[in-house]
Amino acid sequence: MDLFDRLKELREKGLVEINKAKNEEMLNDVRVKLTGRKSELTEILHSMKDIDPSDRREVGQRVNKLRDLFNSKLDDAKTEIVEALVEEQLNKEKIDVTLPGREMHLGAKHPINIILDDLEKYFIGMGYEVVQGPEIETDHYCFEMMNLPKDHPARDMQETFYIDSDNLLRSQTSGDQARVLEKHDFAKGPLKMVGPGKVYRRDDDDATHSHQFMQMEGLVVDKNITMGDLKGTLELMAKHIFGQDRETRLRPSYFPFTEPSVEMDVSCFNCNGKGCSICKYTGWIEVLGAGMVHPNVIENAGIDSNVYGGFAFGVGLDRFAILKYGIDDIRDFYTNDVRFLEQFSREER
Amino acid sequence: MLVSYNWLKDFIKLDQDPNDLAEKITRTGVEVAEVKHPEDGLKKLVVGHIIDCEPISGTHLNLTHVDVGEKELYQIVCGAPNVAAGEDVVVALPGARIADNVKIKKTKLRGNESNGMICGLQEIGFPDKLVPEKYTNGIYVFPHDAEIKPGDSAFELLGMDDYIFDFDITPNRADTLSMEGSAYEVGAITDVPVKVEGVVVKEDGPNWTNDFTVDVDSQLAPKFYLRKISNVKIGDSPLWLQRRLWNAGIRPINNVVDVTNYIMLLTGQPMHSYDARAFKTHKLVVRKANKEEKLTLLNNKEVDLDPNDIVITNGEDVVMMAGVMGGLNSEIESDTTDVLLESAIFDPTLIRKAALRHANRTEASSRYEKGVNWDATTRALDMAALLLRNDASGTINEGVITGSSVKRKSTKITTTISYINKVLGTEVSSSEIAAIFARLNFKIEINGDNLIVDVPARRWDIAIPADLVEEVGRLYGYDNIKSTQPILAETHGGYSKKEETIRRIKNVVQGQGLIEAISYSLTSLEKAIGFSKEPKKPVEVQMPLNSNRSTLRQNLMTGLVDAASYNMARKQNQLAIFEQGRVYDFENNNYNEHEHLAALYSGNVYFENWQNDNEKIDFFYVKGQLTNLFSALGINLNDVEYRAEVIMYMHPTRTAGIYIKNKYVGMIGMLDRPVTQSNKAMKDSEIYGYELNLDDIIPLILNPQTTAQSAPKFPAVERDLSILVDKDVTNQAVEDIIKANGGKYLYNLRIIDVYRGSHIAEDKKSFAYRLTFLNENDTLTDEIVNKAMNSIDASLEKQLKVEIR
Ligand SMILES: [Zn+2]
Repeated sequence: MDLFDRLKELREKGLVEINKAKNEEMLNDVRVKLTGRKSELTEILHSMKDIDPSDRREVGQRVNKLRDLFNSKLDDAKTEIVEALVEEQLNKEKIDVTLPGREMHLGAKHPINIILDDLEKYFIGMGYEVVQGPEIETDHYCFEMMNLPKDHPARDMQETFYIDSDNLLRSQTSGDQARVLEKHDFAKGPLKMVGPGKVYRRDDDDATHSHQFMQMEGLVVDKNITMGDLKGTLELMAKHIFGQDRETRLRPSYFPFTEPSVEMDVSCFNCNGKGCSICKYTGWIEVLGAGMVHPNVIENAGIDSNVYGGFAFGVGLDRFAILKYGIDDIRDFYTNDVRFLEQFSREER
Repeated sequence: MLVSYNWLKDFIKLDQDPNDLAEKITRTGVEVAEVKHPEDGLKKLVVGHIIDCEPISGTHLNLTHVDVGEKELYQIVCGAPNVAAGEDVVVALPGARIADNVKIKKTKLRGNESNGMICGLQEIGFPDKLVPEKYTNGIYVFPHDAEIKPGDSAFELLGMDDYIFDFDITPNRADTLSMEGSAYEVGAITDVPVKVEGVVVKEDGPNWTNDFTVDVDSQLAPKFYLRKISNVKIGDSPLWLQRRLWNAGIRPINNVVDVTNYIMLLTGQPMHSYDARAFKTHKLVVRKANKEEKLTLLNNKEVDLDPNDIVITNGEDVVMMAGVMGGLNSEIESDTTDVLLESAIFDPTLIRKAALRHANRTEASSRYEKGVNWDATTRALDMAALLLRNDASGTINEGVITGSSVKRKSTKITTTISYINKVLGTEVSSSEIAAIFARLNFKIEINGDNLIVDVPARRWDIAIPADLVEEVGRLYGYDNIKSTQPILAETHGGYSKKEETIRRIKNVVQGQGLIEAISYSLTSLEKAIGFSKEPKKPVEVQMPLNSNRSTLRQNLMTGLVDAASYNMARKQNQLAIFEQGRVYDFENNNYNEHEHLAALYSGNVYFENWQNDNEKIDFFYVKGQLTNLFSALGINLNDVEYRAEVIMYMHPTRTAGIYIKNKYVGMIGMLDRPVTQSNKAMKDSEIYGYELNLDDIIPLILNPQTTAQSAPKFPAVERDLSILVDKDVTNQAVEDIIKANGGKYLYNLRIIDVYRGSHIAEDKKSFAYRLTFLNENDTLTDEIVNKAMNSIDASLEKQLKVEIR
């Protein structure tokens, strides 16, 4: 057969075989067969010396051209096959992204501790030390040092769990004040502390009473602390917790360990002061008690009340949480129903 | 204390809106909890005069014709048993509105037209406890001498047009437990002068003082005065007085008892009236009660007197628990003619304790315990005597018997204007301060900066300069004090190291997906000492609220178990909760508090899902969480050891004590079956948890921050080791040997398989470990690793008789 016809036939057959290859393996076989060392093309090249010299140039060119064609077709076919494979793989791996994920438990901080942590951080930023006192407190620190001698009528106001004649479950965190006052070295600077913790009173539990709850005590003592300072401090704290647009007011009150004593009201955040059931139609909500430290408390700690004085305040953390989150039963804090508690997983700030 | 706005007008000129006034009082003095206006919501109630009254046969009803001040009489059907012709009554006219928003219409009853309703006091909003006893089951009848005419508004006559302020007084403001004291307070607040009347008594009976002796222990009763009023006629009090009692929340009883109550309301001085027949001995003694003495009080309560109760006796029998309540044996009765009137001051503490002890607090005792005005004792006595003459036609016998009359030192306080301003942070001038004390009716002297204040006896709460600061501050107005921030030397606030560490621990646990719980510290004795390896002496409170809240917990787990029970009873079975708080015990003669952490898990690792990945929470899941916690806290896991342990309420073979450096720091395990099986909600659940004593753990993690190490530069070599051991050999025992013999390049050891089953002998199990060797400074040679492995194999074979597979 004429060499040119052979090449022509080779071209036709080769292209058909490339087209027939369905996967990489087959394609490789075809490549070997068409362009490999033992392929017909190579054979033709090797037999050039037998060809008429006048044809050699032309044959050489045609063989190379055909090899280039085969190579390019083979490459194209390979790309096609790989792409098809990838697509097949992807199709196999396809998932329904709209199906839900597997959820695990999400942690949450107790609402009272959210309020407490927030307040602590706020006061730490203002240079206050956080102090922890004992919950099993002595009558001495809980009452006597706080200007509540035995037989003081105000002791009736807070029915106390006694353990023995000298020890009790603290009914207020004020004992921390006495302990810190006694220890503080004023030569090293003013005293600024907050003392949070659990307190206990002999109240039967109902929607508004709990025999256990949480308080935070605050105390600032130095030489020139004024009631204006108390007012300013409480105002900023109330705004921090209840919102910058809240108004506050002080009213006279009575606590044995402060004189003057005041209670602070915050303008009702439900009705903005217009009057509603939450504020009992007064427009105001009582949030805490405070006052200027009673001179007896200062003196009881061995400090000269003519030189040193200060202010103290007490925050009911349960009450803050109740107000802030609109909770209507204080027992919700202590029954630990997870449906109640898990709401607060998003309340961290 | 209920303070009547209309009564206040006896003392001060008031023209403000009562609600505005109440707001001002709250801001400046005493919290006004509520302002009541009794006629609110009612209308068309008038006085009616019953002209005739005939029974309607076959019924309990009467047909009346009533003059209501109009041309025509009103025909009204009335079912009250005490309706009668000639009486003045309260009539609700057609169109009237009475209590509970009931509207009165013309009706027909048994064929008789009825044009209105004759009312009882309850029907127009009076609480039961205020209705005079004889009218409790019928209509109210106005006293005969009342100056009223048909058609008059009933609201005014019954005091329902008044505004009643509920003073929520703090214990220091006992001075406002009287109208006079309240008037002084309101006068000071509104800056209006207060007029309090004195009294002059013209006695019109014979002298009685020589015929009667009074023996008073002046320690018990520093002031004690007695008058005798003869020839009284017991009856109803005049309407004006009843009205004032009603609005003060006191039920009118009769014209003698009402007077003593009225004078107490007016002056704050508790008064008592005795039927003189109780003193046939002509003798009155004030002393402490003797053991075994008894008294039946006016409220019919029989009390066993305590040797610390003050009593009044006639020399033989106890007739009154002094300052608290009279005895039935000296009660004023309808046939009483001679009355002994007592005005006295008793020891406040003894009175308070007596009232508490016998659970019998009264208007009188609550005033005594808070402190009464020492300057009002005789004035009150004289005013009461005068009223008894007016209201009960009594004769005032000549002479007052004084049982005791201790003088009280007047309170003079010396301070300075600058001190007051320094504490308040104000610049109030001396003239402003003088004006404030004038409003309070306090006498003062000002000399330059110096201020001397003479405090009236009614204000026993004021004793030191700080008390004066409060008076100035509140009347100057807390609103007028400028808000400032303390200007102080800088302080470094913060948590203690321990607190900071606790916070870190809580953050890790919360990050592991646990919800924070807070439980009650008080629990039952049984629960308090459970879940502990060695319970300590428990701390119990005196007089617990109930036996479930009697003892301070020694573990947190019990609270979490309560929470689990509560949640599971509500079908919340997937639980991951923790608590951080204190436990309490008594040891080494001290009350101790320790910070603990406990966690409780139940259910599955994942929420229910469509992939059916239902991996159950088990011991090893919880242990893994705990291991992660230890790692996060920087505790060297090689120091942590778990020893199978028996702990009360925990599963006997699925519980471990946790030891760090050989010190017991807590436990981990499954709740014991009896605990879960005995609880309906928890039945058949496997509940796991752990509890740690943080007081033991915190010192271990308070190390200074470690410096970071770079990742290993040389390759590690891994070798697996599979062994067959007796089934009772623990992983810990094997690991201990591997670690002891693995050489210094043994970098990590992990158990990767545990097998017991058909392929091996029944008393055997197989463990597979993956050992990682690493030399941080050089590439490890096989030779070194082989040597280590050979040493491990040999030791295991020798010490635990294992078979290397
Ligand atoms: Zn409101």
